[in-house]
Amino acid sequence: MSSRRQQSRQSGASRITDDQIADLVSKLQQLIPEIRSRRSNKSSASKVLQETCNYIRNLHQEVDDLSHRLSGLLQSTDADSAQATIIRSLLM
Amino acid sequence: MSSLSQNPKKTLLFSAMKNPNTLKKKLASRFLKAMKKLKYKMSPSPPASIAEKKRRHRAVRAAAYASMASAVGPRRAWSRALLRKMKGRKRARRNPGNMNTRFGLNHLCDIVPGGEAMDSCSLLNETAHYIKCLVAQVQIMREILHSSSSSSTIL
Repeated sequence: MSSRRQQSRQSGASRITDDQIADLVSKLQQLIPEIRSRRSNKSSASKVLQETCNYIRNLHQEVDDLSHRLSGLLQSTDADSAQATIIRSLLM
Repeated sequence: MSSLSQNPKKTLLFSAMKNPNTLKKKLASRFLKAMKKLKYKMSPSPPASIAEKKRRHRAVRAAAYASMASAVGPRRAWSRALLRKMKGRKRARRNPGNMNTRFGLNHLCDIVPGGEAMDSCSLLNETAHYIKCLVAQVQIMREILHSSSSSSTIL
């Protein structure tokens, strides 16, 4: 605890402690499905960060793919009924 | 509800632990509005050329990210960076001293919008929120696809 206080008195570069980083990394770990399925606490910080990058890249790819399909479907899409179904599913 | 609006810091904290459904509803309504707009802009006939198909694809994808960024608003650094990019403004200042390489975050700061201007702590926070919003956006787009394909109109 005292080391944290000491570090905060120094200039900006060391204001962020390793504890804080480890904390945030473990929080990220919970969000990523790959790591959640394995036993947690086994993954190192670098592994979690790597998986995070891959996960976000995959999500970007999915958005791209879905928007491709949606654009093809755009003519026949009835936005009102789609909206109704979505809101109904969210309220359930 | 009124106490939340009076204390801005509390509002920030609550929005961080937001009920995922409110976020999803907001995202959904904005995205559907954007899709409606796109639909009216386009010609009613199916796209003739490949270039036209590409243009529509890019328009839908841009609408997805735009509705994400505007639904979250200026509350998050990544949404601010996305909004700035859409409006064509300059990027925010880069991270001076560049502490990101210290923790091996150099790939992450390239992926998360606005990442290069953040310190390591904020970058990890922003990443978590960004992932949540991306997941919600993907779910919404899938639901739209399923609902319109199940109630399929045969052209």
